[in-house]
Amino acid sequence: MRNDNKKTVLVGVFVLIGIIILVAGIMTLGGQQKKFVKSISLKAVFDDVAGLQTGNNVWFSGVKIGTVKKIHFYGDSQVEIEMNVESKSKDYIRKDSKATISSDGLIGNKIIVIYGGTSQAPVVENGDRLVSEMPLDTDKMMETLQENNNNLVSITNDLKVLTGKIAEGEGIIGAVLTDSTLAMNFRNMMVSLEKTAVKSNQMANDLAKLSANLNQEGNLVHDLLTDKEIYGNLQKSIVDLQSTADNAKEMTSNLNAVTNKLNSTDNAVGTLLNDAEFNNTLKSTMVNIDSSTMNLNRGLEALEYTWPFRRGFKRMNRANN
Amino acid sequence: MSEQSEKNKPVLTKKLDKFLTGLANAFRFVKRFFQEVWLPPYEFKEILRQCYEIGYRSLPLISLTGFIVGIVFTNQSRPSLTEFGATSWLPALISIAIIRAMGPLVTALIAAGKVGSSIGAEIGSMKVTEQIDAMEVSAINPFKYLVVSRTIATTLMIPILVLYTDFVALIGSFINVNQNELVSLSSFFVQVFEAISFLDVFSSLIKSLVFGFTIGIVGCYKGYNSSNGTEGVGKAANASVVMSMFLIFIEELLALQIVNAIRYA
Repeated sequence: MRNDNKKTVLVGVFVLIGIIILVAGIMTLGGQQKKFVKSISLKAVFDDVAGLQTGNNVWFSGVKIGTVKKIHFYGDSQVEIEMNVESKSKDYIRKDSKATISSDGLIGNKIIVIYGGTSQAPVVENGDRLVSEMPLDTDKMMETLQENNNNLVSITNDLKVLTGKIAEGEGIIGAVLTDSTLAMNFRNMMVSLEKTAVKSNQMANDLAKLSANLNQEGNLVHDLLTDKEIYGNLQKSIVDLQSTADNAKEMTSNLNAVTNKLNSTDNAVGTLLNDAEFNNTLKSTMVNIDSSTMNLNRGLEALEYTWPFRRGFKRMNRANN
Repeated sequence: MSEQSEKNKPVLTKKLDKFLTGLANAFRFVKRFFQEVWLPPYEFKEILRQCYEIGYRSLPLISLTGFIVGIVFTNQSRPSLTEFGATSWLPALISIAIIRAMGPLVTALIAAGKVGSSIGAEIGSMKVTEQIDAMEVSAINPFKYLVVSRTIATTLMIPILVLYTDFVALIGSFINVNQNELVSLSSFFVQVFEAISFLDVFSSLIKSLVFGFTIGIVGCYKGYNSSNGTEGVGKAANASVVMSMFLIFIEELLALQIVNAIRYA
């Protein structure tokens, strides 16, 4: 009897654990597939759902928020998707959000992706229809890829022709690559360039040294750049120089006025310099003076031999000798 | 004499007649089960004892098998997924394989071997030693006591054993995945449940019920209809295993068609 009870208990435990495994599995499954959460229904209409199936996931910002509930035809040939989205996510989905069909991984299941939406728009409500955006069509992608392939083929053909010409020594690059003289010149040029670079480097070093020396205290340039007293004196000198320049300017203008006056005939010097009539008069005056002076000299010489001046002149000659 | 030979003359061919007679007997046997199962007296004590024998006593063997299946299947699937750089899909792949097919199938096959043969041999030996006749004389309904109780026990216990197998196989798979891909337990089980649906779980359970019923009813039928002494007992045990396994595979195929029809409806 006791043995029977033991068996009964063991069977009970066995069944209980089995049921616990089942319930835990169902709860986990339901939790993951949002079967037991409060949800709202959203809709979207697509031209092509690309193999989407009921039960496929709905993602928002990379988070699974629901599943596809129904798929049915709509209008002429469009397809309406009805999705169950958990209520706690609806506060983040706006009425102007868009829905598109994507893929869970490269070869994974199809999913609905809700994205976008502005904070100005109100949050979605049960039964709202989201704006749908058609996913990237693989066929169109392949068409573009084919076009790219064709372009690539033509590019490689061009490249083939180009490299052929280069190999045959045509054009500048071909000549550079095939002509030994050019190559030698190029090599010499490179050597010169290298030397130049070395010298430039050396010059840069010298410049660095020079600037270091200039930066040393006591150096004129350094003092000029750093000593505030010198700067003050320099500023003062510049002010003085400015005043001297002003004076010179004034003097120049005065000189200019004087020159102008000298050029005119309304003054004595100007008349002397510019008036031809006056000059002639002056010249004749001077001639007259000269002849008068000669006559005077002659008179004076005659006077030297005349009495009473004769004795005085003799005395003066003796004193001079 | 001529009447006798007329009576023994086959309707179609001897083999075909035997096969069709067997089929009709099996149908009658199943029909009788469904008639008797609702009628009192209900042999709860015997059902419980059979549940203990079939369910609890099979648990270590089923668990070990499930664990090994989990590890081996994971290991064998890895190279193929590695070629695509998709080893992260291992939990999903294992989950689908174990929950949808491997769990119920492995459990049912192991149970067919262990329980089916035991039922066939037990009832067969009771039949050849005329214990069943003795029970009838003792006013005990042998069909109810032996067949109904055992069939109910297998029908109830196989689904529970399948749950254990699924769980243990997933744990085995997790250990392997964890060692090789360093996937955490929570991440593993998130991916496991991500890949399956309620349809998978319930179809697996319903399939297990059918497998359990098949194992029980086939074992009982073969045992109940055994003859030719101890040789017949061996044949009954052997036939119950072979027939159970064969029917399990047929049922698996049918279940797959039905579930896919529902899934893609």
